[in-house]
Amino acid sequence: MAEVALKNLDQSIQQMRQIAEELKSKGGRIQAVERNVDRILASIKMLELNISDIKEFL
Amino acid sequence: MPTNQDIYWNPILETLPQEKLHALQLKKFKRIVSWAYENSPFYKKLYKNAGLEPGDIKKYEDIQKVPKIEKDMMREVQQHKPFPYGDMLAVPLEEVTVFRQTSGTTGTPVYQADTWQDWEWWAECWCYILYSQGYRDSDRIFLPFGYNIFVAFWAGHYAAEKLGAEVVPGGVLDTQARILKMQELKCTAFLATPTYVLGMAAAAKNKLGIDPKKDLSIKRITCAGEPGASIPTTKKRMEDAWGAKVYDHIGATEIGAWSYECAEQPGGLHVNEAFFLVEIEDVETGEIITEPGKDGKMIITALDRMAKPCIRFDSKDVIRWADYQCQCGRTFRIIDGGVVGRADDITKVKGVLLAPTAIEEVVRDIPELGDEYEVVVSKKGDIDDILLKVEIRPGKEKEEENILFRLKDQLRVKTNLGYKIEVHPFGLLPRYEVKAKRFKDQRKKGG
Repeated sequence: MAEVALKNLDQSIQQMRQIAEELKSKGGRIQAVERNVDRILASIKMLELNISDIKEFL
Repeated sequence: MPTNQDIYWNPILETLPQEKLHALQLKKFKRIVSWAYENSPFYKKLYKNAGLEPGDIKKYEDIQKVPKIEKDMMREVQQHKPFPYGDMLAVPLEEVTVFRQTSGTTGTPVYQADTWQDWEWWAECWCYILYSQGYRDSDRIFLPFGYNIFVAFWAGHYAAEKLGAEVVPGGVLDTQARILKMQELKCTAFLATPTYVLGMAAAAKNKLGIDPKKDLSIKRITCAGEPGASIPTTKKRMEDAWGAKVYDHIGATEIGAWSYECAEQPGGLHVNEAFFLVEIEDVETGEIITEPGKDGKMIITALDRMAKPCIRFDSKDVIRWADYQCQCGRTFRIIDGGVVGRADDITKVKGVLLAPTAIEEVVRDIPELGDEYEVVVSKKGDIDDILLKVEIRPGKEKEEENILFRLKDQLRVKTNLGYKIEVHPFGLLPRYEVKAKRFKDQRKKGG
């Protein structure tokens, strides 16, 4: 996969992380928000392991 | 024509050239060592005592400077706080979402903590396995195991869901009920230990009159927990019984799902080198082996496991790098023949090194013998004695003399040892549902 495409994927992943973290902080410790965002963040981490971690080596 | 996306779960990582994989591994290794140093009292003390700071790891070769850990250390830390995991834990206890433990085959069980992120990671590792073996969203996968404190096929369940397949959890059903449910639902695949794969086939035929090859719809089976699916004669027995492809996978509770046999069945298993760092250490010299074909024990690091890091774990598994490439195109290196033994299992009998898997290979290569067997090593005076208990399949009893002659002959050729053979009535040797305990060394306390 081209380096540019990978960087675009990574940018989208980082945007998702930012939005998820914002959502968590805006949630006012509402458990239904906080716990669901934690699960989303774990999935985002899997995207980072699959995509973001490699971007500097391509 | 299939595209990369059709073949690989992640075409980027699975086809990455080795030098880039090494660069990725080094980056991740530094990250996990720093994480452990900062968050786990056990690792901080271990590294400080060795005079090591995370910043000392600069190049790939520096990885060898990092102290190894052993299973006994994992057991010992459990005496410390926080209960029940001990100070190897690198996250607050409140973040732990699941408990698992090892089976305790080699001693006190090790308790394993995972966060939800770690559990996602487990499932992600299993997605690499299942996708490489051809599992897709059209599969209906049966899981015939006791859903309990052992990790077993739990992560396989989550991975199967993640890749879009339909999972049928066969938890507390008994063997016959599981077979009937697989038949009713036209399941296309299942995950089980080799012992249970053979046991289910025997139960289907003998108790239900069902021929798994003709009467069920199983196309593929993934094995774990025992080496059988990498022993050619055992793999053949399973594939013949089910009319399905049988694939091997090796993982461990305290490590993760680190290797898999792909659909090409190259004669070994790929190491998922994007998620794990495997080193092979010469048992005699302690040197790291990089060349193919030379046996050594595995030192493994789970590069992304956070709650209870597994860094340079001396697993005692004996492996060797393959000297061949796989046609699948994955650049992840292959360990030839899977785990070929255990450093603490390969034992000297009558002065000869014996690996229990060699006995299984011989027994399973004689079609007139049943699937079950048992090996008992004892000592009479100063002399070791090996007793091999076998069963002869119904209808083949009259051929006993010929069968035993071939068995003894092949055992001598493959293991350089002579055996006492005991023939038991078919069906009377112990049957196992999970991990079999067929090798009993009575020379050891509790063996």
